[in-house]
Amino acid sequence: MKIWALLAIAVGLVYGALVVAGAAPADTAQSLIQGSLGSAKALEGTMKHFTPLLIAGVAVFFALRAGLFNIGVEGQFTVGALVCAVVALRMPGWLGLIAGILAAAVAGALWAYPAGWIKAMRGGHEVISTIMLNNIAGQLSTAAVAGPFKDPNQQGTTTASIDPALMLPSIWQDPRISAALLVAVLFVIGIWRWLGRTVPGYELQAAGANPRAATLAGIDAPKVTIRAMAISGAIGGIAGALQVVAYEGRFFAGFSSGYGFDALGVALLAGSNPLILFPSAALFAILAKGSTTIQVMNGVPKGISFVILGLLIVIFAAIRYRKVPVKES
Amino acid sequence: MNDLRLLLEGTVILGTPLILAAIGGYFSERSGVINIALEGKMLIATITVWLVTIATGQPVIGVAAGISASILFSMFHWLLTQRYSLDPIVSGMAINAIAFGAANFLDKRFTDPDQAGFPKLPLMAFWVFALMLPFLVWLYVRHTRGGLRLLAVGSDPDKARQMGVFPQRTRFMALIATGVLCGLAGALIVSNAGSYVDNMTAGRGFIALAALILGGWRPLPTLAACIAFGFFYQLQIQLQGTQVLGISAPRELWLCLPYIATLVALAGLLGRNRTPAGLGKP
Repeated sequence: MKIWALLAIAVGLVYGALVVAGAAPADTAQSLIQGSLGSAKALEGTMKHFTPLLIAGVAVFFALRAGLFNIGVEGQFTVGALVCAVVALRMPGWLGLIAGILAAAVAGALWAYPAGWIKAMRGGHEVISTIMLNNIAGQLSTAAVAGPFKDPNQQGTTTASIDPALMLPSIWQDPRISAALLVAVLFVIGIWRWLGRTVPGYELQAAGANPRAATLAGIDAPKVTIRAMAISGAIGGIAGALQVVAYEGRFFAGFSSGYGFDALGVALLAGSNPLILFPSAALFAILAKGSTTIQVMNGVPKGISFVILGLLIVIFAAIRYRKVPVKES
Repeated sequence: MNDLRLLLEGTVILGTPLILAAIGGYFSERSGVINIALEGKMLIATITVWLVTIATGQPVIGVAAGISASILFSMFHWLLTQRYSLDPIVSGMAINAIAFGAANFLDKRFTDPDQAGFPKLPLMAFWVFALMLPFLVWLYVRHTRGGLRLLAVGSDPDKARQMGVFPQRTRFMALIATGVLCGLAGALIVSNAGSYVDNMTAGRGFIALAALILGGWRPLPTLAACIAFGFFYQLQIQLQGTQVLGISAPRELWLCLPYIATLVALAGLLGRNRTPAGLGKP
């Protein structure tokens, strides 16, 4: 009952906002779909959001299974993208591509490691430490592309661009779909099998569900926590790297448009089933791409997509992550 | 001499919104509600203060409206975490997203591009209040019934419940205090800037949270951390382009300092971990 009430309030709020913006809600919904799925070009734009959201979503999902809120995917994504761009530009060719992605995985894992260590060894909350690491990543990566890695031929704070011929190939033409999507799908399936079918995967979920019980059962819970955080960071780093080698071709200041934060929503919507990551990442990608269209076509400010996103997170968290209520008075 | 005066003034200008927000966070976190939504509460206050002040021409009404908006979001936070038992972090993230989107929406929809400046608030009153506040809060939590209850609920909600204190009620009052202080901080930020840009608070809510953690969830050390952050930020502005000890560090390195200090504090390298024992418990 309460969930439906919440949903009704959310729909009412969004509807009201559209009316305030002077746009017809039906028209707006139509341009949202048209702008994100209506043509090959629109679909390509949506794909560009879908792939990183899916992989970053896997990273957050993985950490959630271990009982960790990895809000730091934003920072790991940024660090991974920067490292990948730098390595791929220094070592051209296929070798550089692979080396760049691997280096990004290492960088992402290293960027997440302090959060895991602080959580496991010192009891400091991982959300706070990853927020701090995100901000540090944002500042340092900007400094890096403003200083040592800046392309001298460019005005803005950006690295040079990778030769388009050496970027990740596409697996489909018109609409062009990058091989990065394939990697993302493999990640989802791989994580799904790994969590469900292997001993470390089981240990990770056990430690996430109840660290005390896991410790009594002989699982080294602190070690599992640190490892889970590092792996989650590595996946986040790879998400950033693929965004460079598949779509952008370079790293620039403000590279991530909040993928790490959206990924938390993607993972929350998926709950405990990794296969639901596909529809939930698609939903977020459509919102991200379509909101630019409605801003241009219907004059509805882009901000409305964040309001919808926030409401969605609340509603789905209410469905899935309710703790046992405490009776009072 | 002029430089020194500028440094002092800049420290106060940049530090006071941080103090207000951090003490706002103090009430929330001390009552047991993890609050990463200081940013969103400040942000919704900035846009409300901006629009209402311009519409009415009365800064007093504008600030009151901003505080009300911030309280409203804080109440939403209370409702989600206490009534519906939602995770405080998830709901905090959602509140930040909603505030960011709503502020962008309202700004793009209602701000007049030809708008002349924003009336200055009585800044001295704000500054004195912000600098006195941590001392008052310190006295309050040490020497009043309400303050002791706040600490009791935040340290062990179950025991507090057994002793007849209602954690949810205490948290309700605590989150109203958070809303009021974040609203004041937002008003101060708009007044300092004199104009409105998208994402007005630009992460200052997280710096305030960092100051609170660095201060070990205690009002007076938190005050010191806020002043230190304001001081270093202003120092960085004034040192821009000049060399210190033969090297000119990029400004981004300076901007990282609060976050690095907080990580070090979280890692327990600055004395024991002072996280309130009941933080995040229902």
